[in-house]
Amino acid sequence: MKILSYKIASLLLAGLFMVSSCDTDELIELNENPNAATEIDPSYMLANAMLRVSGDRYESWRGILIYSSTMIQHMAALQTYWAGDKYLYNNQYSGALFESAYPNYVKLLGAVLEQTKDDPTKGNVYGIARIMWVLGMSRLTDMYGDIPYSEAGRGFYDNTYSPQYDAQSAIYADMLMQLEQAPSTFDASLNDLGADGVQDIMFGGNMGKWEKFANSLMLRLGMRLIKVDPAMAQEYVTKAIAGGVMENNADIAYIQHTDGPEGINQNGLGQVFLADDIQRLSATFLNMLTNTNDPRLMAFATTNVDGIYKGLPNGYDATTIKVYEGVPADSSVSIELYSTTNPDMVKVSSPMFFQTYAEVEFLLAEAALRGWHSGNAAEHYNNGVTAAMEYLSMYGESTTITAEAIDQYLAENPFSEAAGMEMIGEQYWIATFLNEYESWANWRRTGYPVLTPVSYPGNITNGQIPRRLRYFENEYGSNGDAVNAAIARQGPDEFTTRMWWDVSE
Amino acid sequence: MALRSVLILSCLLLLGNAAFAQRNVTGTITDLSTDESLPGVNILVQGTTLGTVTNVEGSYTISVPDENSILVISSVGYETVEEKVGNRSTIDVVLSPDLTQLGEVVVTALGVEKQRKSLGYSVSEVKGESLVQAREINLGNALSGRVAGVNVSSAATGPAGSSRVVIRGSSSLGGNNNPLYVVDGVPIDNTQLGAAGMWGGTDSGDGLSSINPDDIAEISVLKGNTAAALYGSRASNGVILITTKKGTARKGIGVEVNSNLVFENIINNFDFQQEYGHGSRGVKPVTQDEALSYGNVSWGDQLDGSDVIQFDGVSRPYSYTGDPYKKFYETGLTFTNTLSLYGGNEDANYRFSASNLDNDAVMPNAGYNRKNFTMNVNGKFGERFTFSAKAQYSIENTENRPRLSDSPGNANFAVGTLPPSIDVTDAQGDPAKLGANAEGVELPISSNIYLTNPYWGAYQFQNSDDRQRMIGSAILRYDFTDWLYLQGRVGLDHYNVRITNLEPYGTAYKTLGGVVEGKRTVQEVNADFLLGVDKQFGSIGLNAFVGGNQMRRFDENMSINGQNFNIPFFSAVSNAANQSPSLTYNQKGINSLYGSVEVNYNEFLYLTVTGRNDWFSTLAPDKNSIFYPSVGGSFVFSEALAMPSWVSFGKVRAAWAQVGGDTDPYNIDLTYSLVGQGHQGAALAGISQENIPNANLQPLSVTETEVGFDLRFFEDRLGVDFAYYDRNTENDIVSASISSTSGYNGVVVNIGEMRNSGIELLVTGQPVVTSNFTWEVVFNMAQNNNEVLQLAEGIEFLSGDQARSQNVFVRHAIGYPYASIWGRRQKTIDGQKVYDADGLPVRSDDIELLGNGVHDFTSGITNSFRYKNFTFSALIDIKTGADLFSGTNLTAYGQGLHKATLEGRETGLTFSGVNENGEATTFNIAPENVQDYYSRLASDITDEFMYDASFAKLRSVQIGYTLPSSLLSNTPFAAASVSFVGRNLLLLWSNVDNTDPESTYSTTNNSQGLEWFGIPQYRTYGFNVNIKF
Repeated sequence: MKILSYKIASLLLAGLFMVSSCDTDELIELNENPNAATEIDPSYMLANAMLRVSGDRYESWRGILIYSSTMIQHMAALQTYWAGDKYLYNNQYSGALFESAYPNYVKLLGAVLEQTKDDPTKGNVYGIARIMWVLGMSRLTDMYGDIPYSEAGRGFYDNTYSPQYDAQSAIYADMLMQLEQAPSTFDASLNDLGADGVQDIMFGGNMGKWEKFANSLMLRLGMRLIKVDPAMAQEYVTKAIAGGVMENNADIAYIQHTDGPEGINQNGLGQVFLADDIQRLSATFLNMLTNTNDPRLMAFATTNVDGIYKGLPNGYDATTIKVYEGVPADSSVSIELYSTTNPDMVKVSSPMFFQTYAEVEFLLAEAALRGWHSGNAAEHYNNGVTAAMEYLSMYGESTTITAEAIDQYLAENPFSEAAGMEMIGEQYWIATFLNEYESWANWRRTGYPVLTPVSYPGNITNGQIPRRLRYFENEYGSNGDAVNAAIARQGPDEFTTRMWWDVSE
Repeated sequence: MALRSVLILSCLLLLGNAAFAQRNVTGTITDLSTDESLPGVNILVQGTTLGTVTNVEGSYTISVPDENSILVISSVGYETVEEKVGNRSTIDVVLSPDLTQLGEVVVTALGVEKQRKSLGYSVSEVKGESLVQAREINLGNALSGRVAGVNVSSAATGPAGSSRVVIRGSSSLGGNNNPLYVVDGVPIDNTQLGAAGMWGGTDSGDGLSSINPDDIAEISVLKGNTAAALYGSRASNGVILITTKKGTARKGIGVEVNSNLVFENIINNFDFQQEYGHGSRGVKPVTQDEALSYGNVSWGDQLDGSDVIQFDGVSRPYSYTGDPYKKFYETGLTFTNTLSLYGGNEDANYRFSASNLDNDAVMPNAGYNRKNFTMNVNGKFGERFTFSAKAQYSIENTENRPRLSDSPGNANFAVGTLPPSIDVTDAQGDPAKLGANAEGVELPISSNIYLTNPYWGAYQFQNSDDRQRMIGSAILRYDFTDWLYLQGRVGLDHYNVRITNLEPYGTAYKTLGGVVEGKRTVQEVNADFLLGVDKQFGSIGLNAFVGGNQMRRFDENMSINGQNFNIPFFSAVSNAANQSPSLTYNQKGINSLYGSVEVNYNEFLYLTVTGRNDWFSTLAPDKNSIFYPSVGGSFVFSEALAMPSWVSFGKVRAAWAQVGGDTDPYNIDLTYSLVGQGHQGAALAGISQENIPNANLQPLSVTETEVGFDLRFFEDRLGVDFAYYDRNTENDIVSASISSTSGYNGVVVNIGEMRNSGIELLVTGQPVVTSNFTWEVVFNMAQNNNEVLQLAEGIEFLSGDQARSQNVFVRHAIGYPYASIWGRRQKTIDGQKVYDADGLPVRSDDIELLGNGVHDFTSGITNSFRYKNFTFSALIDIKTGADLFSGTNLTAYGQGLHKATLEGRETGLTFSGVNENGEATTFNIAPENVQDYYSRLASDITDEFMYDASFAKLRSVQIGYTLPSSLLSNTPFAAASVSFVGRNLLLLWSNVDNTDPESTYSTTNNSQGLEWFGIPQYRTYGFNVNIKF
């Protein structure tokens, strides 16, 4: 009995030993996630970030289409949830880009910048990340005004849980500085973008094109300051031109999307059109194309049920449209009466354009008109129009415009220096169809094209086209002090509040 | 035990007086619920001192004076029975367990049985019988109202939903607040497998639904930390110990059949307006497009019977079409059959049971099936080895868990927002494919594609989950001597769930459709040992043990997500244009050592000290160890001191304990994951975590002090058990919600401090006890006060969920109870309500506290009556101190369905208030704009939709009849009973319009108090038949 007791006691001690001390290593190993890596090549995150900047269905639907495209009168819809068409407030839609951007591309680019800023072997990744950061951030600040910038996306590195909102003036200063400095770390001899630059899904590792894109973006953002700080605007426009901007459609900054295999590969706008094709082309937009006999009409628009091109006016619902169309109250107005976007432009595999050579030429034309640049405004204008028509072939055959048609259009609509600013603004507006963030921002800067606001009952802008969107509402809960400080500086969190660069003239 | 010994002894002494007996009566006494013979039962001849007790076979012989003698048959734990002798010479009696009396031996932590009087803490028990008749499919729900301090809530989803059981309030801000469930000594997994959120979804159930109530002998609730301290980190939310039925020594095989057939009907408290139809601004639609635009908008004209076009282009009379709830929901049915076989001898016993549960839910096309097989074997090998093994295999098939909350795929939403002029059955479309139009795609009832046709949602959306589960354990015990033993135990809980979730081709909001096929595997293995002594040294008793436990758990989730079907209506993942696989895996482990020493003095003064050390895999090696101590004592003064005769038992107790917990796996390091399948040759990667990881995390700790007393009077006919506790959680590991502009949604930190304090009272009484009639009352109540004391510097609250309207927020805020509800009120200036220039209400600038999502007062009253062989028992469940945010009412305001929105439709609204500058103004709103007023209330003024969620419900009723044994003597049946059973029969008291105060859509901690179109609550009623052979 006694011997058995000893045996059992020693077994017990062995058990104790097993359960506690010697198992520590095994315990710790349990906490290693087999499906996650502790280190990553930053170029993998960079490529992901590019797709995130291009956008997912969520913010593309709400931010680009429901709000921007309708406010700028590229598109129109009868449904009231298409809130931008009628200047209505929908908290979720208004905040969608803000909501989506920070945990996605801001977080990713923040991580890439952190991992590469002091690593000379990652100079290309670092420089590209800075440019993508500016592109992404410029969209955010142009939509909302003051936003978290300097402390954004750094929760892990600095333990900054409630990032402050930086003044838009400081954001622009930093963005322009970043664009200026970004190419300085480019080095073609580095291998940080993978074999043949495969990780660079925009330019395939062609650093010269990145440098042109950096300067072209500087041109865009510099020109944005024209109303608030013309001197600064001129400084950066001049600097950008001197540095070398896009020279042809081969320089265009865009993402080529694919059918799949997953949502991340797809064009966010294309995903929306799969789910929601209730919107139509705005009558404002269609009339402009029609009135100028613009060959892009057939590229952008489908014909309606009657085989003609007809736009839907902004600011109407299913009931009020009947008055507009002059049909009896007991009949209906079918949505099929109006032209919609050419499906070939909004496929899930369609390219998403960040900045086109055409836009650059229009900005150069404007710079020339302003005397900041020695070029010929008409020439830049013509180059811009030509490029804006030619690049559409990147969407596919149905959007390809012939050289004859382009020549004919330019002949029928010759550039006039007197009406130059307006003509450039209109062309910029047409050329940024589907790049609605930029289209809306440039309209707020230039006032062109001249748009007639809608007046829908219950609109929150007093019948004015919104000047900004309202912040993501969660910020009031999770970052209240910071957002309130921004409001104190910038003005009420309303659609009608003008941001720093959008000085009322 | 001592009490019973005294009784037996006194009875034996009385035997000596039986010399003058006239004749002998013999018989056998058996237990009603187990059909086993009962030894030691007292048999007394009423009004005399004649008496005896039954022998080990449960039989007795007694001499009685004459025919008029009455036998009083009593035993502790059973209801007393009186039988008139008459001319019978054999009197067999079946005793039914007395549910109000507390067992003297209770199961405590690690399955150790202890005498109740030795405990320094409160343990509550629920007998299996009370769960069997008026049963719930999910065991957790069956506890509602039964135990003081146990707060049960469930999701408004139907039969296979999850339950939320919280003991003594939520102890952790960020963690899981559900207790640990231990079945026969082995922890089981109770992971909530998925819940609906603000964007919709389904409640995917939890681990408790696999348990068959027919297999449960007893549930023991270890409420306080001291009670559960030996479970260490796993005990911070209390422990629920489930003891399953075992076989017993008996002659032959015992056979028991239990059948339970119940029907389910929704409780229709909806009282919406029936005067205005679909339309807008007082105008009927005149075209199909308009009718679609106003698919669920009831701001049209007064119903006048004229022909008005509807969503499908058909004109129908513009009149009230009847109650859509009645038309849409079905009568549910649950049929449960359990067969059990049991038996054994002195050395071994066994029990086997097989059970089948078939449910058709009130939601059309939804249902649940469960099959359980259990085997329980206990045996002795020689003098010193004892062995027991248990296995339960269950198969659960759930079909079409209803979508809840937001409208996509949610039939409840569509039914609940339909204008009174639209008949829900007109949305059926193709009778061969409900909810579809002639092309086979969704028949839209609205131009809002996210408002899914309810028939399409119920019949064409498909989700199913099939779970196979094995819970097994084996225990080997060796008794060195009669006071020293060693025990080893291994327990396994392993299940996999095969999930299919189809959004069909042709769904309006997803025209190409998609399907997710998944398989989730969860396993937890526990191995432990225990070395114990139990010895008396004179007047000092010692009961002590040391032990250790190793826990390993993994949770693996594989799925293939296929979106956009190539071939229409072919719902295979291989037919999807876009397919993406995913695999997630997480695992964790805890190693533990523990010990306990209990000493007593003369069995009236007890002191117990325990300690446990846990080592966690989830924390950094230098911070992963923590020691949890506890100390408790009790003084049974009724045994130590002279008491008046009407005091039958008295005890005071006190205890102190510390327990704690760790965090989820992979919370301490930043890691990266590959994303998707690359893009044009480029690899894509992202940061794995949405919350900022933290390598400095330490275990959280929960410290509780508890005092209480247990008094019984008048031979235990009145009992009062009272407890007060004060529990503090410190260093709580929370995922603090932070601004997403940081790149992360939250940060995992040791910041939380929260306090729960409260009282629990259990009163048991037997006001009437006669031979033919007994009345027993059990009343329990608990008040818990919860307060969040501290969060990280600069953080005033943690964010929980929001409801779909995005104007209401669940927060855990400093100075307020856990899960308080926040939103906006109408702005006031100097107490005057503010309206904008159009007369629409203006919301307050700040987000304010509007209510509390968790009931702080819970109570249950059970009245049980027995008249001869009839029993009647009813449980009334009462909860107060919580508020409900009702999305149903909010939507009913916004869409013009709520009765309150009738005001002003004909004449407009005129009221006074102040404008945004604070100037007194009279506002006039024209009839056609009245909808703007109510819609603004719905979108901006959250406070309008906050309701007091207090309620009283008739939770459970059973009316039973036990066939007298005399009737069964010539049948193969040993016992038979039949009952009418009902659950949730009546909502006795509520302050919520239209919807039920318990109809929250999720059982997760962060969405308590949010209601948004779950399935209506339903009542269950039917029959239970129990036969023993």
